[in-house]
Amino acid sequence: MTSSPTDPNRAISDHQLPPEAYRRMTVILRGGLLLSLAVLAVVLSLYVAVHSGSTSSQTIASNPVLNYLSVPGLASGLAHGSLEAYLTLGLLVLLATPILRVASGFYYFEKEGDRPLAAITFTVLVLIFLGLLVIGPLFR
Amino acid sequence: MELALFVLLVALAGILGGLVGSLSGLGGAVIVIPVLAVVFGVPFPEAAGAGFITILATSSTAGAAYVRDRLSDLRIGMFLEIATVPGALVGATLTVFLVHQSLEDALLVALGVVLLAIIPASLARRNIEMPEQVQPDARSRRLGLRGSYYDAFHHRELDYVAAETTPALGVMFGAGVVSGAFGIGGGVFKVLALERYLRLPMKVSTATSNFMIGVTAAAGGGVMLAAGFINPVIAAPAAIGTALGAYIGSSLLPGLSNRTVRLLFLPVIAALAIETILRGLGLP
Repeated sequence: MTSSPTDPNRAISDHQLPPEAYRRMTVILRGGLLLSLAVLAVVLSLYVAVHSGSTSSQTIASNPVLNYLSVPGLASGLAHGSLEAYLTLGLLVLLATPILRVASGFYYFEKEGDRPLAAITFTVLVLIFLGLLVIGPLFR
Repeated sequence: MELALFVLLVALAGILGGLVGSLSGLGGAVIVIPVLAVVFGVPFPEAAGAGFITILATSSTAGAAYVRDRLSDLRIGMFLEIATVPGALVGATLTVFLVHQSLEDALLVALGVVLLAIIPASLARRNIEMPEQVQPDARSRRLGLRGSYYDAFHHRELDYVAAETTPALGVMFGAGVVSGAFGIGGGVFKVLALERYLRLPMKVSTATSNFMIGVTAAAGGGVMLAAGFINPVIAAPAAIGTALGAYIGSSLLPGLSNRTVRLLFLPVIAALAIETILRGLGLP
């Protein structure tokens, strides 16, 4: 006799992530953090040197990020050596780090045949991209 | 104020936030956001935007070690993200909507109230090393929400299992809304749910909360970035400072207990919260 999904005495699922998944996610976290901080530190130093005559009020009043929120805009800014574009790139790398971690989780859940967790993780990924690509731009 | 001095001071606020955040588990954003808004006059959405970036930096700094040591339970964390991520989207959407309605001052007042609410919530933490007689509910059994970790203090592998998933999901959704709306990690609320309802061991709760905070911040921060509310010149020094502060905090002061650190810094957070409310109300 099989137990129903809501049976509290049902045997506990024995799905577990392999150690490799933990190692891969550690590399993603370290790599993403170090890469983004290195880009931000170098570019911010250059930005401050180049804009030495600027004030905090000018910085607060103008937000350059809007020019680099599309792929063509960011690519063009990077190609033209825009420091604001490189700062935006550093922030995007930082933002991408946990997203890659979730994607990596999806890969391992799927690989292990853990369908419920794979479905949950995929839904989380879709929701994050929904915010980034649909909800946020609605309010730009 | 000159740009160089501004950037330096924001980075210093980040270091302080990262230090407090890593030692107390409260997250650096609870310091960085009110300092940006109250001391430097940064508009609320940009301050909250910088808050998301500091959370991402703190979460990745501490998170790598937690994941490497298998203290973060990726299955349980990923399962609970199904509640925190929609919460963060709701919170961030509400905030950008209110900003477009010119209700930034109301958001400042609400942020101050949330910061004040964090204080009793952080003191209510149970800090139970290893809960006993935990009965998994049906969902926990079905999804296999259990695990084990090597406890250096007990010198052995300890097993655990998640208990009440339904109330935990409810609290996690609320934590996501708060995180998404204000750019703070909401780790205090997440840890409470992990300890009180799922009844996970203290170390696993802390590490799993840290794992989740980064993903929740990516959801809320994604909305804020795409809406144009993250200023890279403000967020970059905050992120660098916070990562540095979190690194210093986790490596230099391991002897201090979380509770001691909280008691040291809670008055600072209370003062910042009150200042934030006064600023929102337009009072001197």
